[in-house]
Amino acid sequence: MVERATDCKPQMISMTLNGERVSIQANETDRLTDVLRHGEPSLTGTKLSCGIGRCGACSVLVNGELVNSCLLMAYQVEGASVTTIEGVGKGSLDPIQIAFMEEGGFQCGYCTPGMVMAVKALLLENPEPNDEQIVEGLSGNICRCTGYEGIKRAVRAAIRKQN
Amino acid sequence: MSKSRKRPDGNDKVTGQLAYLTDRTFPEMLYAKVLRSAYPHARIRSICTERAKELPGVKAIITHQDVPGVNGFGIITPDQPVFCDETVRFIGDAVAAVAATSVEVAEEAIKRIDVTYDVLSVLDDPAKSLAKDAPKLRDDGNVLYKKSFTKGDVAEGFKHCTAVVEETYHVPRQMHAYMETEGGVVVPEADGGITVYMGTQHGFKDQFQLSRILDLPKESIRIVSSPMGGSFGGKDELNVQPYAALLALKTNKPVKLHQTRAESVISSIKRHPMAITIKTGADETGKVIAHDVKIVADTGPYATLGPAILDFAVEHSAGPYRFEHVAVDGTSVLTNNAVSGEFRGFGGNQITFALENQMDRLAEQVGMCPLALRKLNLRGEHDLGPLEQRIVPTTGASDVLENVERLKDQLEFKKDLPFVRTGVGIAMAMHGGGLGFGRLDGAGGRLSLSDEGKIDVSFGFEEVGQGIVAVIEELTIAALHCDENDITITIGDTNRVPHSGSTTASRGTSMVWHALERMKQEFKEKLCEQAALITDEPVNDLCLGTGGIYKGEEQVLTYRSLREQVTSEANVVVETSFDFPTTPDEVDGGHYLYTFAGVLAAVEVDLLTGQVNVTHLHQAISAGEVVNELGYKGQIEGGGVMSLGYSIMEDMGMEQGHYLKPNFDTYMLPTISDVPRLSVDAIEKLPDGDVHGPRGVGEIGTVAVAPAITKAIHDALGIWINKIPVDPSTILQAIEKEGATWWNEQPIVSHK
Ligand code: FES
Ligand code: FES
Repeated sequence: MVERATDCKPQMISMTLNGERVSIQANETDRLTDVLRHGEPSLTGTKLSCGIGRCGACSVLVNGELVNSCLLMAYQVEGASVTTIEGVGKGSLDPIQIAFMEEGGFQCGYCTPGMVMAVKALLLENPEPNDEQIVEGLSGNICRCTGYEGIKRAVRAAIRKQN
Repeated sequence: MSKSRKRPDGNDKVTGQLAYLTDRTFPEMLYAKVLRSAYPHARIRSICTERAKELPGVKAIITHQDVPGVNGFGIITPDQPVFCDETVRFIGDAVAAVAATSVEVAEEAIKRIDVTYDVLSVLDDPAKSLAKDAPKLRDDGNVLYKKSFTKGDVAEGFKHCTAVVEETYHVPRQMHAYMETEGGVVVPEADGGITVYMGTQHGFKDQFQLSRILDLPKESIRIVSSPMGGSFGGKDELNVQPYAALLALKTNKPVKLHQTRAESVISSIKRHPMAITIKTGADETGKVIAHDVKIVADTGPYATLGPAILDFAVEHSAGPYRFEHVAVDGTSVLTNNAVSGEFRGFGGNQITFALENQMDRLAEQVGMCPLALRKLNLRGEHDLGPLEQRIVPTTGASDVLENVERLKDQLEFKKDLPFVRTGVGIAMAMHGGGLGFGRLDGAGGRLSLSDEGKIDVSFGFEEVGQGIVAVIEELTIAALHCDENDITITIGDTNRVPHSGSTTASRGTSMVWHALERMKQEFKEKLCEQAALITDEPVNDLCLGTGGIYKGEEQVLTYRSLREQVTSEANVVVETSFDFPTTPDEVDGGHYLYTFAGVLAAVEVDLLTGQVNVTHLHQAISAGEVVNELGYKGQIEGGGVMSLGYSIMEDMGMEQGHYLKPNFDTYMLPTISDVPRLSVDAIEKLPDGDVHGPRGVGEIGTVAVAPAITKAIHDALGIWINKIPVDPSTILQAIEKEGATWWNEQPIVSHK
């Protein structure tokens, strides 16, 4: 739960977070991002940058779908399965993560968790997207550093790796 | 060098494990918010914090009365108030700050601080500030700084010109838009000092500035400033550090302050908007004879690096060319707009847009190929620098131009589609590295063997995303012949690193290389001497290698056991400090090492909408040896796309001193769908005997993109652009004015 001064009531939210069933305390007004980052889970891999659904830094998967966690209230994920960057490549790195490293898909890395989640969602839906589909799949994620070329290279390499 | 090594920070970044400074939390931490001004220009009549104090959870409220030291900051001149007392001069000026038990309480408290103002008239344009009857933003008027440069006699020069082009160019207020907004945590320490966990591009400078504000000795302030989620120059100046620091000292609790995007937009520095008027004349052969430049920069109300940026623009006014008569007159004007400051390119991007446009227009007037005109006026290997100072010999200018010319000849043009015209443009730039002559530009580094038996390489730089850790790793491996597992890298912590100067001005790579060149011999010798004593091997037979000390092919001692057998006092530590190489000539601000870019842009222009779509962006870069291929490419590609934004999308518009674009829903940044085909050619060649090693490439990929794009638009439509970002409606109007009609299937003007 994120500490509030105002009179909103805390509630318990049950969800499957990165494969584990958890119950997390949250306020009615907490966004999913707030609870993940600052609540009990302390999962700071999910970033917050614009806070209005325009940059994708806060991307997570909810029931396998890519969402901006800054636009979702915490109570909306009751009963859902939530995957954050911490849930990707647990144990051994995901081919997407390896590809990002090998192809220079990041610089400052602040967009990277969200970007990896977007690629994850894209490849779950379509394991072999063409360039146009890659662009479409990642068009909600802003990267200010790379110029996206390294990210495109990384996605193409990830597609090859998973085959 | 292997060059394609993966970055050492890669694993933590792709897994989300890397703790940025804004991700940190500490026990009993409080949350802070800053109250910014309600008006862009006003006198403060009163500040009342009573209603805010009553709010449960509020732990401290501070205003100008709570600043123990100097109530001001600024890298050169501390003229920006930490908290305004009498007057607010822009909408991002701070008036008060609050620490509370939660972000929400702090936000609520801020709303309950009652400030009354007497509104003053707003100087939202340099022209207004320069008007005779304008209110003065500081006692001596509204001109922050003037800089000029003359060579020859332009008036005389113009008499000999047969072609003259005169134009005024306007370039926008670009926002850095680093993805991680400003912030972090300040923690009070038991000894009365503080640790500041907040990003910056020069930890020791923040330490100095904060010591002045807090009236604390520098030694009591530890700055942990790395890693960062981007900066691009934008976090070099102090931002929210003073507020969290003052509140942490006042409450004796850790204080977190992480700006929202909207708060960042309001308070952060931006790229200088400039109006650049240039008259350039050539003779009938295309030789430029006279070049008269007037620069007016909107610097906002406070100095930060405004003067240095103007110096840089003035210096680069003739770019890579040699003109006989040059007069440059620059003025940095105070306004009530955003504070303009350091941004990747540092004034070079603005002046290059104007200069390269002039070259293209002149070529048209003279009736010659724009590339031929450039070549005719280009500097040679041993020519003086743009301020007539001696510089390191370089063939970069002609090298990059040849590269893009070759590519242009190979390009196959798509035929124009109905309602779409295509075009290609070329531009180039020359860009100085380091801070320039007469500026404190010290650098240094340290090599030591850590207690764990690792070779610790330590620099006072910050990792902002540019890949300095990869550069350090790569260059250390090359210098010491060890491998990545033998090395630890320590940066961005004033308690643990030597002074290396700022992580700016494309100086990092260069400084790491110079430092290692100076330290490597001594470090190797000292380790081998110790190893010789331990192993009884002759010292001359020993050398460093992977994992330890070798005799020929055989490892005789690991670094770890070497360390274990040496006392702490005798442990090898090698340090160096030196200055960034500058020109031997006493030319204020003049640079010595320059890099070059040649850019080719291809565009499609939609005749129905006026939209410009960049389809290919190629950059040829001359900056010496490539240290890390992925890092190099990333800097140039990323810089290129950032400048694509500058050329056709990004402008942080302001009206009456208020921002028009509060967040990324209105301030549009390039997304993956805006990205053209990108290509980068690194020209690694340096003149024989060059002793300066690889140059930095943090900025050069941003400098010459805009003029290449606008020339491509000219190539497509025959219209000249004098203002960026290119506005589709300007294009539509121009098409109409030219008398062309979009339903006409014939080319609008003949091209090619
Ligand atoms: S932070 Fe959620 S989309 Fe930008
Ligand atoms: S790597 Fe910095 S924003 Fe993408």
